[in-house]
Amino acid sequence: MGHRMHLAVSLNIATTDGRDVLDFGQISAFVRKAEGAGVDMVIISDSADVPSTSPFEATTLLAALATVTNRIGLVASASTLAHQPYNLARRFASLDIISHGRIGWNATLEQNPREAANFSRPEGFSDHDFRRRGEEYIGIVQGLWQGWDADALLFDKAGGRFHDPDKMHFLDHKGEFFVVRGPLNVACSPQDTPVLVMSGLSETDRDFASRVADIILLEEQSAEAANAATADLRRRALAAGRQPEVVKVLLTIAIESEPPIDRLRILPGSSGCDGFNLVLPAGVTALQSFTDRVLPELQRHGLAGRGQQGATLRARLRLGEGSAK
Amino acid sequence: MTARQMKLGLFLWATGHHIAAWRHPDAHVTAGIDIDHYIQLARTAEAAKFDMVFCEDAAGLREANVQIASQTSRSIGFEPISLLSALAAQTDRIGLVSTASTSYNEPYELARMFASLDNLSGGRAGWNLVTSASPIEAANFGATGLRPHADRYARAREFATVTTGLWHRKPAGHDGESFTVRDPLDIPPSPQGAPVMVQAGASDDGKDLAARTADVVFSAAQTFEEAKAFYDDLKGRVAAYGRQPDDVKIMPGVAPIVAATKAEAQAKYDALQELIPDDVGVALLSSYLSISDLGRYPIEGPLPELPESEGMKSRQALVVEQARRDGLSIRELARYFAGARGHWRVVGTAGEIADELQARFEGGAADGFNVMPSWFPGELDAFATLVVPELQRRGLFRKDYEGRTLREHLGLKRSI
Repeated sequence: MGHRMHLAVSLNIATTDGRDVLDFGQISAFVRKAEGAGVDMVIISDSADVPSTSPFEATTLLAALATVTNRIGLVASASTLAHQPYNLARRFASLDIISHGRIGWNATLEQNPREAANFSRPEGFSDHDFRRRGEEYIGIVQGLWQGWDADALLFDKAGGRFHDPDKMHFLDHKGEFFVVRGPLNVACSPQDTPVLVMSGLSETDRDFASRVADIILLEEQSAEAANAATADLRRRALAAGRQPEVVKVLLTIAIESEPPIDRLRILPGSSGCDGFNLVLPAGVTALQSFTDRVLPELQRHGLAGRGQQGATLRARLRLGEGSAK
Repeated sequence: MTARQMKLGLFLWATGHHIAAWRHPDAHVTAGIDIDHYIQLARTAEAAKFDMVFCEDAAGLREANVQIASQTSRSIGFEPISLLSALAAQTDRIGLVSTASTSYNEPYELARMFASLDNLSGGRAGWNLVTSASPIEAANFGATGLRPHADRYARAREFATVTTGLWHRKPAGHDGESFTVRDPLDIPPSPQGAPVMVQAGASDDGKDLAARTADVVFSAAQTFEEAKAFYDDLKGRVAAYGRQPDDVKIMPGVAPIVAATKAEAQAKYDALQELIPDDVGVALLSSYLSISDLGRYPIEGPLPELPESEGMKSRQALVVEQARRDGLSIRELARYFAGARGHWRVVGTAGEIADELQARFEGGAADGFNVMPSWFPGELDAFATLVVPELQRRGLFRKDYEGRTLREHLGLKRSI
């Protein structure tokens, strides 16, 4: 295909055993090393089936990381139950400006029962309702991200015109689950819109994801299954009127003790994917071993750190414009 | 034991607190999209030993009229918890206080966000609890119309109880009128225990909630007498809840314009006032009075009689009283008000401003001040280099931080 491999590293800071909690210095040192080795993005999540002992929530952590890095993409998982769509859209839009266009939101249509219980939804939703609600939610967030045109801000002191009101757009969304007037009170993203990553997808979700996602994370699976899923997603993206190559499909691989270099070398061809999402345990030892042993191997085999690095995450991954246009 | 010293907050807002701040020739007009600008402001305040920086917030536009909005710098900016989380990594000592509304958030969510900010900053976070009175915000959350004042505060009380309960590791489980929460908070406490609780509501409901739950109260008072009355009222309520009066720090807003001479300071202020377009000034005043049609009255004439609104009850009374007292026309009031949004404006030399602050601080009308520079960065720089050293010379303000956490700066007990 001639595309460069894309490499994401996923870190769930909630999955610690309580003895080995990462502090900010350890996390930022790790992310800077990954950045130096050419990793395209880190994906941080903060929720698990059991309560976490991590001192951080993912989006606030991302804001702090944005100020101590300058090239790597920064993606956070955030729940559609914990946050109202307006608040979530606003937060990621702000993070995107803080990071100069390196931010993504990892969204899922899967329901975490622990969240429903803590966010005043003790009864939860049926899977069907949760999925429809999630789709509506994601559409609102992407719509809000496009409320301000890139040239809306005039900064015309003498003329007294701060922005051009014709380049600010109300969303006026009235849906089954949400009513959101907009616009966002955050300016246009430096990368058109923050990147939408989707994960935890069932087959039912593929149509929707291939229409709206910039990056799709596939669960760990065989090369053959990944190949079929990738082909299916590309076909659906094409049917939705998108150029299939603007949707990047990354295959998730859990990194245990030994780096699976042989597997990583063979997989790109046989899986048809655009790259990998390497999932690390959030422990000091695991991160140390990854930066000391796995990253150099990946670089040596040309699996990381190649290709032109764009200023924004979207440019770096050669994604299209924000897809909900 | 050193003498009691005043607390200082830096109130960050857009390009400055003056509505026409962004038009000032030296104002940093791209503030709303420039994180480095905010890092610089926070570092200036930290070098001047301010207790905290403070961000206010609204989940929506500030002004319904899009033409008016486009003549101000307030339609875009950073979401404050994200902004302060970024500043946490770029500062060491200064407190980081963000506003967040109880109307359109969930307590478990906010408890997590602020606990995380508190940990990222090593115990320097604070939460300014507000209820949302703006119909513009309501429209972004599927709400039709505005909740009545009393309902907003009932939800706020429950929200505050749940959030502080989570921070203080109270037994898990809450099933209330507005919220249900099953689990304990999954984020451990910071070095200061729990984030500092801040409030600014000046209505009866607001003051009552503050007296029960706040560590810091921001207020707006034009005159010494108003400031003193608010101070005594609130400290009395604090005592009624079985707390020590000194457990709550009252910090009125002050909008200073400082220069080497009084005439120079006045000239700086006049120049800013000239930059306010009439329609913007009137619109801002209308929005604070919660009436939509102030523009149909003659701008040279007096303020009309006003019905009591569901929105900013207490602020409205303040503004109306000001106009009647001074016999101001709508334009004069609009301009006067636009400059400081109903807060206390002081124009003068460093010595004169220090005199005014000292009189309120020592006269039992304030424990400190929330400083609202007219435009950034110039008026912050002027305050930091002229007024702060004068306060320090008089022994009224610290020369260096005594501790590491915001609670330590404020002289509050560790909360857990």
